[in-house]
Amino acid sequence: MAADPKMKFLVVDDFSTMRRIVRNLLKELGFTNVDEAEDGAIALQKLQGGGFEFVVTDWNMPNMDGLTLLQSIRATPNLKHLPVLMITAEAKKENIIAAAQAGASGYIVKPFTAGTLSEKLNKIFEKMGQA
Amino acid sequence: MSDFGGMEDLLQDFLQEANDLLSDVDNKLVDLEKMPDDRALLNDIFRGFHTVKGGAGFLNATELVTLCHLTENLFDRLRNGELELTSELMDVIMDATKGVREMFGELGQLVQPQPADPAVIAALKGVLSGEGVVAASPPEQVQPATSVPQEPTSEPDWSALHAAVTRDAPSVAPTQSEVITKAEAAIVEAAATSAAVVAPGGAAAFGRRATDRPGGQPTSARRAEERGRENTIRVDTSRLDQVLNLSGEIGLTKNRLTSLRADILAGKNDSETLHALDQAVSQLDLLVSDLQNSVMKTRMQPIGRLFQKYPRIARDLARQLGKDVELVLAGEETEVDKTMIEDLADPLIHLIRNAVDHGVEMPEERQAAGKPPKSLVRLEARQEGDHIVLIIADDGKGMNAERIRAKATEKGLISEEEANTLDERQSLNLIFMPGFSTKTQISDVSGRGVGMDVVKTNIQKLNGSIEIRSEPGKGSVFIISLPLTLAILPVLLVLLGDQPFALPLSLVREILPIEQSKIQEVGGKETLVVRGEVLPVITLARLLGWPVERYPEYGVFMQTAERSFILAVDSFAGRDDAVIKSLEDFRPKGVAGVTTLSNGQIVLILDMKELLSDLGQHSDFGSAVRALDFA
Repeated sequence: MAADPKMKFLVVDDFSTMRRIVRNLLKELGFTNVDEAEDGAIALQKLQGGGFEFVVTDWNMPNMDGLTLLQSIRATPNLKHLPVLMITAEAKKENIIAAAQAGASGYIVKPFTAGTLSEKLNKIFEKMGQA
Repeated sequence: MSDFGGMEDLLQDFLQEANDLLSDVDNKLVDLEKMPDDRALLNDIFRGFHTVKGGAGFLNATELVTLCHLTENLFDRLRNGELELTSELMDVIMDATKGVREMFGELGQLVQPQPADPAVIAALKGVLSGEGVVAASPPEQVQPATSVPQEPTSEPDWSALHAAVTRDAPSVAPTQSEVITKAEAAIVEAAATSAAVVAPGGAAAFGRRATDRPGGQPTSARRAEERGRENTIRVDTSRLDQVLNLSGEIGLTKNRLTSLRADILAGKNDSETLHALDQAVSQLDLLVSDLQNSVMKTRMQPIGRLFQKYPRIARDLARQLGKDVELVLAGEETEVDKTMIEDLADPLIHLIRNAVDHGVEMPEERQAAGKPPKSLVRLEARQEGDHIVLIIADDGKGMNAERIRAKATEKGLISEEEANTLDERQSLNLIFMPGFSTKTQISDVSGRGVGMDVVKTNIQKLNGSIEIRSEPGKGSVFIISLPLTLAILPVLLVLLGDQPFALPLSLVREILPIEQSKIQEVGGKETLVVRGEVLPVITLARLLGWPVERYPEYGVFMQTAERSFILAVDSFAGRDDAVIKSLEDFRPKGVAGVTTLSNGQIVLILDMKELLSDLGQHSDFGSAVRALDFA
C-alpha cells in the first residue's frame, strides 16, 4: 500500500528538539501533516480528538511513558487499530519484548536517519495493507 | 568551520533545551544528596541523561552519547536498588554532569566535543562493573576487553529475538548493530585515550581536583556559548499574542484618527468631533503604554533560570571546604529583564561563593557557638514596587567592622584618620574597595580581592545598588536593588536657566528650597545642614563648567553609594519616564544618554557618578553640550 502523504502523524516526545527532529525526518519522507504532544497523557487526549492515522512515540517520558501510551491505545476501542512506532535509545531485549507484547507496530533506535525511518514505516504500511 | 553542516539551528534548539534539562538535573542531584533513596528523583535524573543522549545521537556527538550513556546506566542501577549512593559515587556523578556541561560548551562553539576526562569515564565504568569507585585505578580500568562488553554487546542475539517475538523479518538488524558497533568503537577509543593519558604519570589523574579548577579551556568555552545564546529569547506565546492584539487595536485607533483628521481638515469642528478626537487620543495613549508594557514583558524572564545553577555551585564549594551548607532559593518566579539576568550571573555567583567561603563557619565552629552544624545561605528575589530586590543572606559569623577597618588601613586603602570617621555601615562598605580581601591567605575560591568591587561595579552598571547588613554571630545580608527594566529610567528634570537636564530618580531623596543665608562654609566648601546632617552643596552649573548667573534656588538631596550631597539647581520641571537613547560613538563624560521630552526637546541624562568623579574637569562636558546645541 502506498502511503498517503496527507496521513496525519502524532509525534510524542517530552524533548522538543527530538520532536522537531522526527518532524523534519517525516517531512523529508513527504509527510507534512504532523502534530506533536509532550507526553503520553497529552497524546492520548489529542488522539481521542480523532483524525490521527499514525503515532510515533518516545519511550521514556514523564507523566505517561510511551509504553503506557501504547497500552492505553490498544485498550481503547476507537484507537486500537492505530499503528504505533516506538522510539527509544535502548536496544535492550527486555524493551523490545515489552514493546512487542504491548502491540507496538515497530521499534526504532535512536539515532536514526530518514532512510531507517522510511524502512520502518514502509514495513508497517505493508503489514497494514495485508491486514 | 562548523562540524554541523545544516544542523546549526537544531543544535541551538538542542543546547537551549538540554541546558535547561541539565540545570534541572543539577538541582535534583543536590536534592538527591538529602534524599538518596527518592525513586522519583532518580527516575527524573535518569530521564535527563537519557534524553540528552537521544538528542546528542542525532547530532553525531558520539562523546556526549558515551558519557550520558554511562551516567544513565549508573542511574538505572541506582533506581533499581542495585547500587547504593555513596558520597564517592556522588562525586563521580557530579564530575560526569560537569563533563556533560563542558561538552555543551564545545557544541555551542560548533565543534564536536572532545572525549570526556578519561578519569571520569574510568570511574563510571568502574562503578558499573561493580568494582566500586576506589577500584577505578586507571590501569585495570582501561582494559577494553573487560570494560567494553558491559553494555549493548552483551545481548548478541537480540535482533533474532525481536524477530521471534514480533514475527517480523530481522531487517532492522544492520542499522542497530551498526549503532552498537559505533558506540563500542567510541568506548574503546575513550578507553584507549584514557590509557594513553594516565599511563605515563603512573600516579592517578583521577580525582575532582584536576577538573575542578576554574579557568582553562572548558570554562572559556562555556562563556563563549553563553554569549552566543544572548541573541535568542523564549517568550510565552500568550505574551506575544497580547502584543499582536494591542498593535491591532492601535491600528484601529489610528484609522479612527485618520478619519477624524479628514473631518477636521474639511472644517468640521463641532463639539462632537472634538470630543471624538479627544477620546481617540486618550485611547491611543492608553494603548501605547499598554503596548510598551507588553513589549517589555516579552523581555522578562523568571530569575529562577539563573538561580537554578547556584545550589550546585554552593554544594560543590561547601564540599571542597569541608562545610555543610544548604542554599535555599526563594522567589524564583520573579521576572527580570533578560539582559539583566545575564549581567547578574557573575555578581551573584561571587556573592554566593563569598557567603559559603567567608560567611559561614566550619561545622565544628558552629556547634561550639551553639548553632546547628548545617549553615543556611538564602538567595531570594522579589519585586518591591518598581524595583527588583535580590537578597543573599547567610547565618554565619557576620562581619566585624573593626577588623575590616584595620584591614583596609593595613592595605593602605584608607588612612588611619579616615578609618576613624567611618561608621558601621561605611566600614562594611569598605569590602567593595578594589584590592580588599579579608582572608590573608588567598583562597582559590572567592578570588584574589578582585571580587567585591567588580560585583558592585556590575550592579551599578545596571542602575542598581548594593547594601550590606551584618550582625556579628548571626550572619550577613547583601541586598541588591535593581530597576525593573533598563529601557525606561524614571528621571527628575531639573533646570539650569531654560535648559533641562535629567537626573536618575533613584538617586533623588528629596527636593528642598535653598536659602542662601543657611549655607555654611566648611573648609572652603559650601554645606547645608539637613536635619542635623551636614551635606556638601554642589552647584550643577559649576559641575558642568557653566557660568553661575544667579544663585540656585533649589537643592536636590541625592544619595549615591559613595556619598550624599545637595545638588543646587535653578528650578525643576517634574518627573518623567525617560526612554534612554544611548550616544553610540559620542559619549561625553558625565552623560548617560539622551531622551526626548513630550515637546520634542532633547535632554541629556546625567551620570552623577561620573560627573562627581573628578570635580572641576568639565571642558569635555561643556563642549558636548555646545555640540548638541548646534545639532
